[in-house]
Amino acid sequence: MNGRRGPIMSPGMARLVVIIALLVIWEVGARLYADPLFLCPPSQAVVALPRIFSDPKIIHAIWVTIYEVFVAFVLSVSFGMTIGLIVGLQGFTKKAILPVILLLYSIPQATVLPLFILSFGIGPAAKIAFGLSHGIFPVIVTTVGGVQNLRPSLLTAARSMGANRWQIFTSIVFPHMIPSFFTGMRLGMTLVLLGVLLAELYVSTAGIGFYTRLFAESFAPPDLFALIAVLAAIAVTLNEICRMGERRFSRWHNG
Amino acid sequence: MKKPSRLAAHLVQLGILVAVLGAWYWATLPGGINHLLLPPPIPVFEGFWVLFTADSIWPDLLVTVREWVTAVLLASVSGCTLGYLISRSGYAVRVFDPLLAGLYSIPAILLFPLYLLFFGLGPGSKIAIGTTIAFFPIVLNTIAGLAYVDKAYITAARSMGASDFQLFWSVMLPAAFPVVLTGLRIGCIVAFLSILGGETISSLAGLGHRIVSLAENMETSRMFSNILFAVLIAIVINVIVTFAEARGRRGMQ
Amino acid sequence: MSGAEAVIRVDSVSQAFGAEGDPRRVVALESASLDIARGELLCLIGPSGCGKSTLLNIIGGLASPTTGQVTIDGHVVRGPSPQKVAFVFQENTLFPWRTVIDNVKLGMAFQGVAKSERQERALQSLRAVGLADFCDHYPGQLSGGMKQRVQLARALGLKTEILLMDEPFAALDEQTRMVLGEDLSVLLAQTGKTIVFVTHSLAEAVFLADRVAVLTARPGRLKKLIHVEEGHPRKSNFMTSSKLNGLRNELYELLHEEIRKTMIERGEVREGA
Repeated sequence: MNGRRGPIMSPGMARLVVIIALLVIWEVGARLYADPLFLCPPSQAVVALPRIFSDPKIIHAIWVTIYEVFVAFVLSVSFGMTIGLIVGLQGFTKKAILPVILLLYSIPQATVLPLFILSFGIGPAAKIAFGLSHGIFPVIVTTVGGVQNLRPSLLTAARSMGANRWQIFTSIVFPHMIPSFFTGMRLGMTLVLLGVLLAELYVSTAGIGFYTRLFAESFAPPDLFALIAVLAAIAVTLNEICRMGERRFSRWHNG
Repeated sequence: MKKPSRLAAHLVQLGILVAVLGAWYWATLPGGINHLLLPPPIPVFEGFWVLFTADSIWPDLLVTVREWVTAVLLASVSGCTLGYLISRSGYAVRVFDPLLAGLYSIPAILLFPLYLLFFGLGPGSKIAIGTTIAFFPIVLNTIAGLAYVDKAYITAARSMGASDFQLFWSVMLPAAFPVVLTGLRIGCIVAFLSILGGETISSLAGLGHRIVSLAENMETSRMFSNILFAVLIAIVINVIVTFAEARGRRGMQ
Repeated sequence: MSGAEAVIRVDSVSQAFGAEGDPRRVVALESASLDIARGELLCLIGPSGCGKSTLLNIIGGLASPTTGQVTIDGHVVRGPSPQKVAFVFQENTLFPWRTVIDNVKLGMAFQGVAKSERQERALQSLRAVGLADFCDHYPGQLSGGMKQRVQLARALGLKTEILLMDEPFAALDEQTRMVLGEDLSVLLAQTGKTIVFVTHSLAEAVFLADRVAVLTARPGRLKKLIHVEEGHPRKSNFMTSSKLNGLRNELYELLHEEIRKTMIERGEVREGA
């Protein structure tokens, strides 16, 4: 119990060591065994990065994707919160409509992707719409959840002090719902990314989907790896921002 | 007070369904929406039934289901094994759990083009993406289940002289079981979703592929029927897997 | 006490958490020494944080002391001794995925009892606590009091000489506590086990114990040993007797000071208040 030796290195350091070890194995393995048409060592992918960044068309494609994600996210959050509040605040609407929403949430949206393309065309509009249809659901569900945990005693207390409906909404309901809402935003961002990327990979003329297809079909793994790494980094950053926002605004809400 | 409002809720839902179907029918009457964009409902439903016979959907269904089962098996075995190994050491949990959770936050669909490059257009790339995406909830839940067993159970068992094996088999496994089961359920569902996604993006066969090729040939009516079928399969899988999880939990209690 | 020999010897046991010089160092126990006689029921009582649970864990081999040692029947305790010592914990440690009787049998499996003996022993133990009719129920279907009785049955099934109980009735309502306390006294008279019982309740301590060991506030030291000369099984009218009240008051005096000290240290109460 006392006097136990601590581990040799901190978990953070150990993680770094693991990642480096995996990269080394990948590097060595790819060099020795891989067919360069299909797989490349990480060093080549790194070398391909400046090549990617120097091509203005690819940079533009990345910005287009970020734009699609951003718009889809903003739409998901605004529509999601509105619908969530409408559905969640009234007990009856919640009972009636929430199951419908949950049913829609559970259908595999990949099956309707071709439909979105048919309706919106092959430009950014379809990607934004598809991202919206993914991201809106967690926002709705978490908003409804955030509103329903409200203790009736809080509302009674407010009413006893003479608060009107608007005051009750802004000073009690809304602040109470904020932590769940931020959780919904974080989940929404994850799903918007999924939707937009899925749509991009399906069909794309100038977005990153176009370039991933190009690199895959021309058997250029370094460029493909590099592009995917850049996109992954962007996705992780966006997710992290939402996660930080969630942490900050949930501070008072300790369960 | 409770029963009437529940009935009313169901009536509203029924009403919504009727309204949607009605609007669909009305919108596709002659002079309405272009049938290439929104086909009329009756041919869609007729086409749905034909899927089981003349327009045989079974070969493609088999392809998709095979891909799904393979992915789930691969993800479960690797996820549970790795999760078990990591959970054995508190230090390993502190090292690997955040690492795996971090990897989980990368949209794994990005790997799909790589899998296409490596495995080609056949089932291999779909199995790969299904396995990759299903792996994470399984391994994370296995770690969470095994590593965070209530200490009180372990203390009690040790005080009664339990050996390491007895401790694992009779205490930790049953305690972790519900959490692991949840991970497996999530894994099954996301595997199916990602395989459908993969088939949609690029494949030679399968449910997703059917829908895409019908879209490309502008056969929207048949496409709708197939979408209906795929959605139904997804719901069936969802129900089966949720039921299995509940059964598994009850079997332990 | 009838001159019975000491089965448990606690010898200058100290328990400290944190290294010497570390400002966060906590000394839970300091040079606690105690002899517990065979067949007696000893209660450990003291303010929160005085180390009574720590001492119990050390006696049972679930923790090792920083200095000092505990011997049972002359052997130094170095780890859990399931053949000699059985625990009953305050929190529920019944495995929810097994029936009541399976829980009792599992304890025996851990200890190493032969499979053929387990069923009969388990039924015996459950009968002893009055729950034989519930052997096929799941813990989730039982009340708090019943769950504690099953934990007791599990401990009894191990047929150990010593029973260590850490505030086993603390989570129960007062009426259930009284009934279980009486039952425990009956059990003691029938089996002659040695029981070390940690409690917060003054009345419970006097009602159950042959001796009550009062510990000081942290760092816990043995402050005083109080003898309760009353045979087992204790009758329910003992609870309302003036003898019990007198002893209870004595305990109160001893503890009052220690409890205040603990609360001052924690900042819950101002000094001189």
